[in-house]
Amino acid sequence: MATESRPHGRIDRVAATGAVLALFGVAAFPFVVFRANRIVTGAPTALSAAGLAGVAFAAFAMAALAAAVVPYAWPALATRRPLALKIAAAGMFGSLAWAVGQAAVHLLAGASDIARVSIGGGAWLALVGAGVVEFAADAQLEGGWPRRVITVIALAAVAGAALLGGMQDLSIWREYLSQSSFFWLYVGQHLTLAGAGLFFGLLIGLPLAVAATRWRPVRDVTLAIVGVIQTVPSMALLGLLVIPLAAVGLPGIGSLPAIIALTLYSLLPIVRNTYIGLSEVDPAVVDAGRGMGMSSAELLWKVEAPLALPLAIEGVRAAAVLVIGIAAITAFVGAGGLGVFVLLGIGQVADDLVLLGAVPIVVLALLADNGLRALAARAVSPGLRGGGA
Amino acid sequence: MIRLEQVTKAYGDTNAVNGLTFEVQEGEVCVLIGPSGCGKTTTLRMVNRLIEPTSGHIFVGERDIMSVTPEELRRGLGYAIQSVGLFPHLTVADNIMTVPKLLKWDRKRMADRVEELLTLVGLEPGEYSGKYPRQLSGGEAQRVGVARALAADPPVLLMDEPFGAVDPLNRERLQGEFARIQRSLRKTVIFVTHDVDEAIRLADRIALMRGGQLQQYATPEEILDHPANKFVHDFMGADRALKRLGRVRVSDAMRTDVPSLAGGRTPAALAERAACADTRFVYLTDTDGHLEGWFDCHAVAMGVSAADAVTLVDWWDDAVRPDTSLKEALSRMLGHGFRSIAVTDLTGHLLGDVAFSAVEAAMSDSDERMAAAHDARDGSDRPDPGGVRE
Repeated sequence: MATESRPHGRIDRVAATGAVLALFGVAAFPFVVFRANRIVTGAPTALSAAGLAGVAFAAFAMAALAAAVVPYAWPALATRRPLALKIAAAGMFGSLAWAVGQAAVHLLAGASDIARVSIGGGAWLALVGAGVVEFAADAQLEGGWPRRVITVIALAAVAGAALLGGMQDLSIWREYLSQSSFFWLYVGQHLTLAGAGLFFGLLIGLPLAVAATRWRPVRDVTLAIVGVIQTVPSMALLGLLVIPLAAVGLPGIGSLPAIIALTLYSLLPIVRNTYIGLSEVDPAVVDAGRGMGMSSAELLWKVEAPLALPLAIEGVRAAAVLVIGIAAITAFVGAGGLGVFVLLGIGQVADDLVLLGAVPIVVLALLADNGLRALAARAVSPGLRGGGA
Repeated sequence: MIRLEQVTKAYGDTNAVNGLTFEVQEGEVCVLIGPSGCGKTTTLRMVNRLIEPTSGHIFVGERDIMSVTPEELRRGLGYAIQSVGLFPHLTVADNIMTVPKLLKWDRKRMADRVEELLTLVGLEPGEYSGKYPRQLSGGEAQRVGVARALAADPPVLLMDEPFGAVDPLNRERLQGEFARIQRSLRKTVIFVTHDVDEAIRLADRIALMRGGQLQQYATPEEILDHPANKFVHDFMGADRALKRLGRVRVSDAMRTDVPSLAGGRTPAALAERAACADTRFVYLTDTDGHLEGWFDCHAVAMGVSAADAVTLVDWWDDAVRPDTSLKEALSRMLGHGFRSIAVTDLTGHLLGDVAFSAVEAAMSDSDERMAAAHDARDGSDRPDPGGVRE
């Protein structure tokens, strides 16, 4: 459909930026950091420490850059560019995982047992760069089997590199091994906290949104309150909750205040989006429904709710990502969750322990985001998708 | 069938509708018309209680509408509006089934009804059932809106400018189709419009309102011929003879035995046909009878080559349908500069033509009938609603 407007035969600026970022990152910043033990200042090490794997990564990054730039000279190649970028991105992900592991293996050969190798700034930038290339490719590539096959190959390459390429020598993996029994406990707690916050947010937020469309005073009060809650910093909110909870004899520490805070934060996206979704339903549609004899409840369930669904799901998605992030903070009031690793890591000046908490939080947020997008794609009526006929 | 007694709707100090009393007979189309803000839409919406009257009574059948719940009342009154209000998340079939679903019909009966209704409004069921409203043109959406209003076969239809949002050509067609459907279904209809021509064409009776009050309630002929006051006279316009043509259908004035030549448009065939033609024009069709154009015999007689005497046309734009009003047919003739215009059915089959002279005849004929109806009026309680219609 948009074939004509696609920048064929021109430089793909986004993909080029990603490739340059990855190359610049590994050239200008330490790829990994070697430490004699867990907390001493480390010795930065370049990509070359990864040997052949490092060469492979550099090659894939340059291939991505070439794919982004070359069609400028040969427009005939432009139609193949999205696929080339997708393959280059997959190669970047796989070789990066391999290179990080290989660097650790080489640096730790002959070092003491307490020596650590952490992922450096260069490797992180390389990861971001590969992500940008992947994004640029996905934006241009239509769905279909090539896209799926390449995605599967990339995932397999990353998993293979992680299992066989020496990533288990990395500091973050060692942190995991020493904390593995807690790790899954905290993942479970984190999901429980976020899930409970989202659940109660929906339980309170959806009826509030419906009430807001029916009664103007409810709308004014509700939207003002959920807006104000959002402006209170999460640490402050957790602190403030101690007072009313203590007043009714409930603990101000633990999972109760955490769940209350997460519920409050999830309200704004849920209430606001659902309210907007409901209030934007075409008045003619509502008039037709009423005129044909639908009761208020029938109108809500059969007409208004399905029409508001796309925006409402969007709100739930935003709320899910929000509470998964904020659930990290609730470790401060002893609610548990992955935030515990972050707190401990900061206390011990152990970067990799912080990452052991932070990386899974990012992964959980991405999973929730994608899961709810997929749900939206299935639940929303085909009549509401896309533009005109 | 529908009776309003001293119905008033007040908003603050102003009365949007003031002491309105009239009755719509069963099977009649009552068109409410008047300038914006005259209270016509308010009146319509009071009948199905989307607006509650401040005082007065409304009866549908013999039942006071306040004696049942609004939902029960509305399910028995078909409702179609200008903005259509199709549910965008439902298919055409599900939209049409809205009221049957509320009434808990069984699946089979609903599916049969959808097919029947789509066919009735001129949409191919197989093609349209599964479409979503965003895939429909304005005219198609209006047809689905009318089908939806008819779904549960309500005895009463309430229509608020149902054809107001479509282009003039489509509106003309929709009006023709509505008139055709109404002739077979005989619903009791209240129809709001601000288009005088539409009112004259479709109404059995016109209720002309102004400032919340009824100015005149009478048949279109009566209202054109004997406006109750200056406002009515001015509102209906000066071109009353022309307006009356809106009441006559092409099928009432058309000639069916037109000379035509089917297929084989060779110079020899044309020349042979021209030689024995007793009229000036011969219509050309394909072998299945679809109109393709016409052939000017006089031109050939004056030495023009056979090929140059052929005019090929697009039947959709250059011919009219039997349901078209004579007023519209006349305006097409004048627009194209024709002395007569071909008539085809909805698939382009040539049915006949209407000559300018036939339009003139219909005009004077309707004058005479109107005068006759006027003379006879004192003797009957109700004027003949349509001397020119059967």
